[in-house]
Amino acid sequence: MDNFTNETMDTRQLPQFETVAFESLQAKYAWVVFANLMVRIVLLVLAPLVLSRIKPELFDSQLWMILAVVLPVLVLFMSLISYIGFKKKGFAFRNHDVLFRNGIIATNTIVIPYNRVQHLALHEGILSRYFGLATIEIFTAGGSSSDIVIPGIAKEQAENIKQLLMGKIQKQL
Amino acid sequence: MFADTLQKIARALWPILVIWIFKFDELNKVYFFSGAIAVFLGIALVAYLKYRNFTFYIDAENEELILQEGIFNKTNTAISLSKIQQVNINQSLVQRMIGVYGLEVDTAGSTKKEGVIKAISHALALALKARLMEVEKKGITDDMNAITADLMSEEERPFIKISLLSLLKVGITSNYIRSIGLILAFFITLYENGMNFLEQSDFDKQELDSYVNQSFAMTTIALLLAFFLLLVLVFNVIRIVLKYYNFKISKQNESLLLSFGLFNTKSTIIKPERVQITTVSQNYFQKKMNILELKIKQASSGEKEERKAVIDIPACNKIESNAILMLLFDKLAVKGLMLKPNYRKLVFALFLSIVLPLSGFLGFGYFVAPSILEFMPFVPVYVIFVGSIAYFGFRNYRLFVNDDFIIKQSGAWDIANEMIVPEKIQAITSSQLFWHKSADIGSITIHTAGGNLSFQLGDFTRIKHYMNLWLYEIETSDSNWM
Repeated sequence: MDNFTNETMDTRQLPQFETVAFESLQAKYAWVVFANLMVRIVLLVLAPLVLSRIKPELFDSQLWMILAVVLPVLVLFMSLISYIGFKKKGFAFRNHDVLFRNGIIATNTIVIPYNRVQHLALHEGILSRYFGLATIEIFTAGGSSSDIVIPGIAKEQAENIKQLLMGKIQKQL
Repeated sequence: MFADTLQKIARALWPILVIWIFKFDELNKVYFFSGAIAVFLGIALVAYLKYRNFTFYIDAENEELILQEGIFNKTNTAISLSKIQQVNINQSLVQRMIGVYGLEVDTAGSTKKEGVIKAISHALALALKARLMEVEKKGITDDMNAITADLMSEEERPFIKISLLSLLKVGITSNYIRSIGLILAFFITLYENGMNFLEQSDFDKQELDSYVNQSFAMTTIALLLAFFLLLVLVFNVIRIVLKYYNFKISKQNESLLLSFGLFNTKSTIIKPERVQITTVSQNYFQKKMNILELKIKQASSGEKEERKAVIDIPACNKIESNAILMLLFDKLAVKGLMLKPNYRKLVFALFLSIVLPLSGFLGFGYFVAPSILEFMPFVPVYVIFVGSIAYFGFRNYRLFVNDDFIIKQSGAWDIANEMIVPEKIQAITSSQLFWHKSADIGSITIHTAGGNLSFQLGDFTRIKHYMNLWLYEIETSDSNWM
């Protein structure tokens, strides 16, 4: 018990990850998200149209009615998910670790200490490149569930972050 | 280098060529040829562009290997030289045909190979490998893939041997859930078939009559069940004895050497520093017989090795397991402060395991197929059985935390204690559903190189507190996780 009280005294002064101010993704990245969403919506709407051309006998008026109700709801739902997903993503680089927050229903916060980072990757999608954005992927030894993928960072900032992280990794050794 | 391009294109075109040859006599149309040529050229172009855009170099200043690839979607991978675990040089058939080698760079953890360089000359591959491994002074890699055939060393002195008796004990007591599941499945199909048979043969008889028949069938089935239970037990015992016969654990400079098996002897090495998660599990019977099962998960790189990295020690008593744990951790695991899950965990488990299936069952019975409602007598049995599993699962679901160990206890019948040392943590995720915010409950997942450990719906303030503490510990110490 003595040990415990001692511990709480000590740890209360520790930096708290939950109070960190998260930096949100670049506003331009919203366009990338939007474009991806559009592609999906177009595909979703096109699929029944194409199918009705190929197999008209499958589509009676009842099915069209159902589709007319379901599709807008689905589209709205998808847009909402994309929007919230974009809004809730955030990242923060502290002195000793990197934090990433995401999630739509649940709020997940993943923290990777720099001395556990294995390596880094910088991706540029074709659309992201047009907007001057990049995606940073941070790998640990904990398998894919513990890797962080931060999309929508300005290219220069991403490069800087990469340099910073590489420096941190080096210093740990 | 120019020849390399040609080789690469040839490599890329190879499968198309094969298809082309296969289809040659099937379709003999002009536009097929033109199409083939177009595809040919397209692929050649893509291959060429890919080749042009693929570069790699070693950044001597920062000690890192940099790979750049991609035509439209560009990827730039930086691998710190000191983090490289393995460098493999290999050569596939096609690569052999054109005389180049592939080089794969592997760091710990993630499932795929991180850096793959295709088609470089042998000399370059060797030079690169030498350069990449140069930094690695500790020589971890020389026996990275733990298993060696060299068992017959002089120093071998088994300090734990598992007797046939303990194996028998394990065979009788373990895999209960699986056996019960098997029996239940068997029982249900048997019952269904019996019902079908009865309905077909005695269709015009009175219901009472068929009920008598049913109860008669049930007694036979009960007999069959007992027989089946016995069969499963015997099967279980035989399987475990075959697999783990003559299980020996010996110590060999700081690592544990395991060997077991009746027909094909397997041997494995456990290195304490590579151990990530240790699980001790025991059920009620095993507790009475003083045996427990140990599972050791080591750091693995890649999915293929994952199964190899889990090491099972099927039966040992308390003293032996303590001896093994002493070797692995240098101290005994003490259960620290207890973290209980919120009651919602139980409610949710009950909802998933009882409310949902039952409402599905009833709904299906009332609206689609009323015949399945004949299984109604089984509903209370199911509710009691599953409910008690959920309840005990909830009661045993605990997280113990102290300075040296994080222990998660779980399981309804087989109670497992998963132990990890805070230094082995790679990353931590906290997660909270938005409607749990006001109740201040949430979940935590601890990622290690040997798998994840998660605890759901606990006191979120304390979870966050522990997270901060562990992060602090990891970030301030230079501890080696592998």
